[in-house]
Amino acid sequence: MKALVNWLKDYVDIDVDINTLCDKLVSIGFEVEEVKYLGENIENVVTGKILKIEKHPDADKLVICQIDLGNEVTQIVTGANNIKEGDIVPVAKHGSTLPNGANIKKGKLRGVESNGMLCSGEELCITNDNYPGADVYGILILDKDTPVGVDVKPVLGLDDYLIDVGVTSNRPDCQSVLGLAREVAVAIGKPFKMPEISYVPDNSSNVSDYVNVEVSAQDLCPTYLMAAVKDVKIGESPLWMKRRLRGMGLRAISNMVDITNYVLLEMGQPMHAFDHKDILDNQIIVRRAKNNETIVPFDEKTYTLEDDVLVIADRERAVGLAGIMGGKNSGIKEDTQTVVFEAAKFKRENIRKSSRKLGIRSDSSARFEKGVNSFTTHLALKRAMQLVQQLGCGTCTGGVIDISAEKIQKNTLSFKFSRIKKLLGISVPESEVIRILSLLGIETKIENKVVTCLIPEYRDDLERDCDIIEEIIRVYGYDHIKPTLLTKSSITFGGKTEKQALVDKAKEVLVGLGCSEIITYAFFGKSSIDKLCVKQDSELYNLIRIKNPLGEEVSCMRSTLIPGMLSSLALNQSRANEKATLFEFGKAFVPEKLPLEDLPAEKETLSIGMYGNGDFFRLKAIVSILLEELGCELKVEKSDKEYLHPGVSANIYANGKFVGYFGEVHPTVAKNYEMNNTSYIAEIDFDKLAECAQHKVTYKNIAKFPAVQRDLSLVVDDEVTVGELIEAASQNVHLLEEVSLFDVYKGNQVEQGKKSVSLSFKFRSENKTLTDDEIEKQMKRILSNLQSKCNAKLR
Amino acid sequence: MLNDKIRELIEKSKLKIDSVENGTANDLQKIKSEVLGKNSEINGLMKNMRDIPAEERPAFGQMVNEARKAVEEYFAQAEAKMKQKALRDKIEKEKVDITLPYQFSCNAERGHLHPVTLVENEIIDIFKGLGFEVLAGPEIETDYYCFEALNIPKNHPARDMQDTFYITDNILLRTHTSPNQVRTMEKKKPPIKMLCPGKVFRSDDDASHSPMFHQIEGLVVDKNVTLCDLMGTLEAFAQALFDEKTKTRFRPSFFPFTEPSVEVDLTCSNCGGKGCKLCKGTGWIEVLGAGMVNPKVLETCGIDSQKYSGYAFGMGLERIAMIKYGIPNIKLFFENDVRFLKQFR
Repeated sequence: MKALVNWLKDYVDIDVDINTLCDKLVSIGFEVEEVKYLGENIENVVTGKILKIEKHPDADKLVICQIDLGNEVTQIVTGANNIKEGDIVPVAKHGSTLPNGANIKKGKLRGVESNGMLCSGEELCITNDNYPGADVYGILILDKDTPVGVDVKPVLGLDDYLIDVGVTSNRPDCQSVLGLAREVAVAIGKPFKMPEISYVPDNSSNVSDYVNVEVSAQDLCPTYLMAAVKDVKIGESPLWMKRRLRGMGLRAISNMVDITNYVLLEMGQPMHAFDHKDILDNQIIVRRAKNNETIVPFDEKTYTLEDDVLVIADRERAVGLAGIMGGKNSGIKEDTQTVVFEAAKFKRENIRKSSRKLGIRSDSSARFEKGVNSFTTHLALKRAMQLVQQLGCGTCTGGVIDISAEKIQKNTLSFKFSRIKKLLGISVPESEVIRILSLLGIETKIENKVVTCLIPEYRDDLERDCDIIEEIIRVYGYDHIKPTLLTKSSITFGGKTEKQALVDKAKEVLVGLGCSEIITYAFFGKSSIDKLCVKQDSELYNLIRIKNPLGEEVSCMRSTLIPGMLSSLALNQSRANEKATLFEFGKAFVPEKLPLEDLPAEKETLSIGMYGNGDFFRLKAIVSILLEELGCELKVEKSDKEYLHPGVSANIYANGKFVGYFGEVHPTVAKNYEMNNTSYIAEIDFDKLAECAQHKVTYKNIAKFPAVQRDLSLVVDDEVTVGELIEAASQNVHLLEEVSLFDVYKGNQVEQGKKSVSLSFKFRSENKTLTDDEIEKQMKRILSNLQSKCNAKLR
Repeated sequence: MLNDKIRELIEKSKLKIDSVENGTANDLQKIKSEVLGKNSEINGLMKNMRDIPAEERPAFGQMVNEARKAVEEYFAQAEAKMKQKALRDKIEKEKVDITLPYQFSCNAERGHLHPVTLVENEIIDIFKGLGFEVLAGPEIETDYYCFEALNIPKNHPARDMQDTFYITDNILLRTHTSPNQVRTMEKKKPPIKMLCPGKVFRSDDDASHSPMFHQIEGLVVDKNVTLCDLMGTLEAFAQALFDEKTKTRFRPSFFPFTEPSVEVDLTCSNCGGKGCKLCKGTGWIEVLGAGMVNPKVLETCGIDSQKYSGYAFGMGLERIAMIKYGIPNIKLFFENDVRFLKQFR
């Protein structure tokens, strides 16, 4: 909410400087977002009287003026031709600055000394609203009575500050100069001077002679008021009003329209001025629109309505959108003779909804959305009539049409005095409570330890004791709060859940293995899945769509973490980072049904990605160690994920349960993601992995007897995996502690299509040292297993 | 219409292309110049144009062009097929024995946690010691938990404070971690000390905003919880996170789910309150929002507001990380450039 400080001064004596004022406002909860001095950048410009005008000896279009600046007479050369001797004009002296950034210096014009410049309205950035004649082409001629030699800013009404104050949504009453003034009074501890608002109607005619109102939707329009002004004289508003409107960023239009704008700024009540002759049959109906009813309001577009929109109508059709936009022809015109003012309270929820639905926003709808109250609605209508009388632009007729469903009253609220300490933790003296609340206009008494407050009609936000207590503390000052550390509350156990602790552990393991954590957006575009080359019926395409996304590429909730990982790898590659090993923990969203009816499952998912540092087997090491640390044994099987290299990829089984997959990114997918380096990725359903995790650790005795080792070199078909060999070899073999691989060879020394595999077998008994015979027996079984199951031959 | 001769020529060209099906890419290029190149028969046809009666020339020209197009298309198909096959062959050749055990090369590099996680962990550790338990909530929320139950009715101006991504009319991406206050109070009876970290989403994307960021929410509900306790808790937290000289300041504010509501400023960790660029010369930085839980919210969750009171606070993790590490731009958090990631420990 913007306000001119001089306007605020109508209601409160502001005797502090602008910085103090702003600090004080902030301290009671009103953020000052901007402070602007209206005469900003006008320096050293004073009023001067033209004593003499002579022709320039060497230039036809220039004249030489002698200017009286009060304490000196100075010479200025100008090209203006609208001045005459005796005129009082703004003079930019040597060393002055103007709002357009110009610095004025003395100098010579065609050989004649000129000590400054005479200013036009435009050069001072002002219009007719600031000073009559400011729009004239040429020098601004000031009023004859203007004192000479004084700063021009007060003369032009620019010696004022415009402050822009952030008003929180619970305080719509402060969306007005008057409302802000109330808070200013509280902030600086001065009384608020409520102006007398009244007018003397001419009772020879009555508003009912002009208009008849019917409100059929009182639920959406709790208050509807009308008053009429006859014998209207449309004309310009007085300077003081135009200056205020202009200062607040509005343009003066004509007295009647200006009055409604002035009241909106001052009281925070949007008003509408109808030209009486455009009200058909003197009838106004406030009703819900009919379904599919169309309307062409002020902006001349056609809108089709539904019955949740409130309209202002005559007997036949809707002419205006209540609180949003007036009718096409009903506004004030130059020949308007009778004006009917409307002041109403429309339900903010409904205005907000309608304005959004129709895509129309106006000053009026913006204000109604924040909320007005009926008390102010009444006051504002009276104020408008008062201004009509003050400006002499019409005759106020008698009576007011008042169709109200709401009673205007001060509500009473009482609570135990002890509640204050209970909530705040500090005691506020009774006298302070009374003082603060009365500053806020809340009549308060404290009897028998009970606080009773009479809430002003305009404070809809004060509903409960805590609201009053907040009012007390924000004025009393938060610096009175003394920090305590939950001294009177119960002891509780802190910490993470088992699952969170498991995630932490996994992160720790991954970091130890050289992986760095990334965080990617939880949304992506459908194209992210397209690029993975999965089948059209893949569940990855079950995407939850955002209705109002910021763009197509961020429009769906992720069904997998892979695209985020691939994009991150690609970004690092494109920036020529030679290597990266990354992981991410995040949610993959799995809808039960689309479109969504219930909240979807959010699967905790782990993705790992790497390039430039190791191959498939490094990623296998990472996955394997991670599983081991969580108490799971890794088993791999060939994977058929479409976006992985079919020959360099594997499914991950944790203690036999499928939990994910890893492998080289398929070359086509790598190309789709613009990746140039061979990259590897893994994705693990962490919820599933967590279920497999074994937390219990049981000590096993350390072997006392030595192990015996035997090696075998075998030739097998290339197709046979080492895993198969080891599994086959171990069947029904006793005392075998470990089988390990120490060499795989393919090449000239073995037949094509075959490979040589060298395995090492470690035997141990818990009870004794093993003999050669015992070992040989087992080795024979191993060899026969390998021969029969894998067609392996000794090399 | 193609005449027989031309049709025959097309077939001949196709056969030639087919003949290098199992050849190399080089072979294919050779055939290309043979069937489509300067000295190809198709090109030769054009040279014959002058032998054709003038009135037939346009038709003939069109025919030759069609023939050329047909051969070109066929060639392109063959080329694509060959590329695919090459890829298949390559993939086939690259096949590894996935059961091979990994061998650990000496890799002395350690990874890094994301700065958001580091800050989150640090904050959780501080509050864990005060008896706060960590409870997460869903990222996709209902309107009820995200707004209604927090005293933000539909079409209320307070909804303007947060730009919301909607999935349906009633399902949305949570705009803050506060819905977990309600979820927690529904499930547990006081005493409650809860901390909820997580992702939040707002329809806002510019130099200083990201549509996704992280918050951490704190909630305490018990008998005798006061505003002084809120200040004490936050001061202890700020001193643990930054340093023991850090001071805390409350400024009045408004959140529909707390009453009173405050913005919490800390003395600038960069200059210690003297005023610098980071704090814009004020000596204070705005770090979090907080307040006493609005009794309406307590009652919505079935907690007796006469008996119990509570406080809640929420802060942005990226904001804390930016202050703590001097990170200038929120976008850096989600680019995941390793040169960024490896700086934090």
